[in-house]
Amino acid sequence: MKHIIKIALICLLSLQGFAQDANQLLAELTAKMNSVKDYAVDALITSDIPMVKILPSQATIYFKQKDKFKIDSKGIAIVPKQGFNDIAKLLSQKDSYTAMVMGNEVMNGTKADIVSVFPASDTSDLVLAKLWIDPVNDIVLKSQITTRSSGMVTILYTYGAQKKWGLPDKMVFTVDVKKFKIPKGIATDINKNSAADANKPTAKTGEIKIDLTNYRVNIGIKDEVFVK
Amino acid sequence: MLLKSTRNEFIKIAAKPRSYLGLVAITVLVGVILFALKADGMSFISFVTSSFEQTLSFEGNILNGNLVAFIVLQMLVIHIPLLVALVTGDLVSGEGAMGTIRMLATKPISRTKLLLSKFIAGGVYTLFIVIWLGIMAVVVGKTIFGSGDLMVLNSDGLVILQDADINWRYIGGFSVAFLALLTVSSLSICLSCFSENSIGPIVTTMSIIILFTIIGTLDVTIFDNIKPFLFTTHMAAWRSFFEDPLPVDQIRQSVVILLVHNVALILISLYKFNKKDITS
Repeated sequence: MKHIIKIALICLLSLQGFAQDANQLLAELTAKMNSVKDYAVDALITSDIPMVKILPSQATIYFKQKDKFKIDSKGIAIVPKQGFNDIAKLLSQKDSYTAMVMGNEVMNGTKADIVSVFPASDTSDLVLAKLWIDPVNDIVLKSQITTRSSGMVTILYTYGAQKKWGLPDKMVFTVDVKKFKIPKGIATDINKNSAADANKPTAKTGEIKIDLTNYRVNIGIKDEVFVK
Repeated sequence: MLLKSTRNEFIKIAAKPRSYLGLVAITVLVGVILFALKADGMSFISFVTSSFEQTLSFEGNILNGNLVAFIVLQMLVIHIPLLVALVTGDLVSGEGAMGTIRMLATKPISRTKLLLSKFIAGGVYTLFIVIWLGIMAVVVGKTIFGSGDLMVLNSDGLVILQDADINWRYIGGFSVAFLALLTVSSLSICLSCFSENSIGPIVTTMSIIILFTIIGTLDVTIFDNIKPFLFTTHMAAWRSFFEDPLPVDQIRQSVVILLVHNVALILISLYKFNKKDITS
């Protein structure tokens, strides 16, 4: 019996230790994120999504603390619904989540700690967020966000000159896509066999690459910019 | 002589109040569609994009002049044949009903040239209708909603065409739409040669279009062999210009079939009109 209690205590203490490690990692990450009050950046969005044909499009992305975010695109751009500022939004409210270090992994030669973030609320749209954090530079190398509404979004981050701010040069989103249903009557094509098209296999994930250049950090972006 | 006769035929078309009905109808219909889209266009768009929007978000000006013009074209191209047939179906039989065809046949012009002038005048009227539709849909649409990338939904999924890559597609699309409407014009003039009253060819033309359209939309294997040869199948060929990559073979096939229909209808009409015993 004594042994069981000892093991249980050790487990609890070690879990608490993992949680403390995770909270410390996230606190450092949040501090770095918070050092960026706002930014504007030029983006080249390249989408490779099943059943969608679109050429790369240029856009400007604006962000302002805490959660103001806007994509300004001249043409039409397709971006994932989740994953852009969700991490910043989530981490900005300390009481809204519980975090735990789940291990580590070497990513492109960099050792990353894997932190799982669970929402405190049962009704939250977020189910689980997994972050691969570089503890040396306090940057997110990869994230995996699972939500009730949009499924799973995996994001790979590549850093360059803006590493000091924790801002990536490139983001690669992999999103879950269900088989899109084309409303009948809207898409009536000649010489097309609808039965044959319905049986066509389609990929289940789509990829969206965003190349980010020309960062303007802490330039004092006005709130009016975010009005749609 | 052919040109003079064509000019006379066009004056006759211009003198009829019903000839303006098409232009007025297009103006009112496009006006209503533009107003509706301006008032609540985004709900229409979300109906199209809803299946994508669970995981993806569309940024940029989606409801722009190019999309509005495309929606207008899609809604109206099916109904424009009635406006064309209303005028062209009357070109021969209307004169028969009024008793002027007999007098016209006594003039020093062959029956072939006389009928060809009616076909040309009908074609010019159809061209006017298509140009007016283009002005109302594209020019007015872009003026009100501005320009932008075009989002087109077809059976392969969603195609987004860049703004700079669209104008030539509209020119191509309108050209094929004109050819399709010219076939309607030829059909109604052809039927007009077989009739002695005005209303018969107009109603018959619309009946044929409705019948062929129903055959074309029915997913029944027995019709699969005839569907590619029905002109109504190719009336939607203008949409092919908004696919990426451009289905050149499909467009070529549609153009050839529509041209063959036109030539066949003109030849049948000429044969009938030359053989016709004009007694009215």
